Amino acid sequence: MSDALKSLAFALALCLVCGVMLTTAATRLKPIQDENMRIDRNINILKAAGLIEEGKTYTAERIDALTDDHIVRMGVDGAGRIIDTAMTGDDPTQGVLPVYLVTGEDREIMSYIIPINTRGLWGRIHGYLAVDTDGSTITGFTIYQHAETPGLGGEIEKKWFQDNFMGKKLVDHHGNFVSVGVAKGRVEDSVPEDRRHNYVDGISGATLTGRYLATGLAQILSAYEPMSVNFRQNNIRCRMETIPPWCDDETQTN
Amino acid sequence: MMKLRRTKAFQTLAQPIWGDNPINIQMLGICSALAVTVQLNTAVVMAISMTFVISFSNLTVSMLRKIIPRNIRIIVELSIISSLVILTDEFLKAYYYDISKQLSVFVGLIITNCIVLGRAESFALSNPPHMAFIDGIGNGIGYGGVLVAVAFFRELLGFGTLFGFQIIPDAMYAAGYEDAGFMLLAPAAFILIGLFVWLQKFLSGKP
Repeated sequence: MSDALKSLAFALALCLVCGVMLTTAATRLKPIQDENMRIDRNINILKAAGLIEEGKTYTAERIDALTDDHIVRMGVDGAGRIIDTAMTGDDPTQGVLPVYLVTGEDREIMSYIIPINTRGLWGRIHGYLAVDTDGSTITGFTIYQHAETPGLGGEIEKKWFQDNFMGKKLVDHHGNFVSVGVAKGRVEDSVPEDRRHNYVDGISGATLTGRYLATGLAQILSAYEPMSVNFRQNNIRCRMETIPPWCDDETQTN
Repeated sequence: MMKLRRTKAFQTLAQPIWGDNPINIQMLGICSALAVTVQLNTAVVMAISMTFVISFSNLTVSMLRKIIPRNIRIIVELSIISSLVILTDEFLKAYYYDISKQLSVFVGLIITNCIVLGRAESFALSNPPHMAFIDGIGNGIGYGGVLVAVAFFRELLGFGTLFGFQIIPDAMYAAGYEDAGFMLLAPAAFILIGLFVWLQKFLSGKP
């Protein structure tokens, strides 16, 4: 056998062995990894909802129980109506977006959570933003996946930055939608007083990450704006105790 | 004891841990030593992953050393290393999800860590499998030891914790002590590694 042929045969055999080994490992471990990702997602939804504390560890069962008790996954159609998508699934072509409703002890809605998936400087930023039922006050924000520079843009995963969003408003003093911006440096130093409730403190050395995040939030929030308007005008009535849960808004029924 | 210390196996194990340490002496693998040493947890997992990859890649390359065609040997070594790395990454994602999230790309980057390929090229290709395996373990410990030492100081001074448990008492904070935020940034690791290099050269009497 010539040298070239020998090399080729060796390379092929090696590829086969490595390929089989990796495929077996990947398929065997996939269910466990998927389960980990699902729990991690639920942890972040619960964190945005303010139902679990940062730094504490919870068992997978506890996370599942909390999610079952307090989080309901629904959809929002183009008119801002909340619809049940448990059967149909989301249909982006129909303009149906996912939303998580946070319910309290008596199954009343406490807040709603919007999934965030937007462009960062180096990759996608994934997270959740919780908004109070007044339709304008942010009650929680988490980021669970990003590829920003550690120490700079990577600070978005830190508690101080995320807590920064609490109590900020999506609307200006006249009730018009303005989204929430990321200031350059501290809000007190760079934003006029009457607009401070629309801005969070920025990260020094990460102007671009802040700008991308703010742009992304504005885009995503404006897509959900019809629903937020319905919440603001107190139009949404939901019956969460029924199965499936059922929502209506008065503008449609009248 | 003296006999043991003179065996080739012991030399092979001890040399990379101290005298020929991959980080302190050869200045390899600095990138990951900066990135994953903010906390002891990640440093220890990284050290174990690295030791696993380097010892088994050495073992495999050494077992195949007589049949690997010379003209494609680098790519063969890389395939073996990357297969082991992907295996480690998949395993961590399944059983240590939180840690694998923190380590993020750095497990994958073991593939490009020059220590691994360097040992395969310079040692495993010309030594029998058991020696290559021992050499891998020695290099893994040599690399991991520095990682853990750096992480020890960074976590203690930067967070006041070790393995996530609070070490600096609350009374110290009440008295005005503050964690050194600088320790959490990459340059702090640079400075620590620099100090280690100086310390080792000082102790071993080399200028």
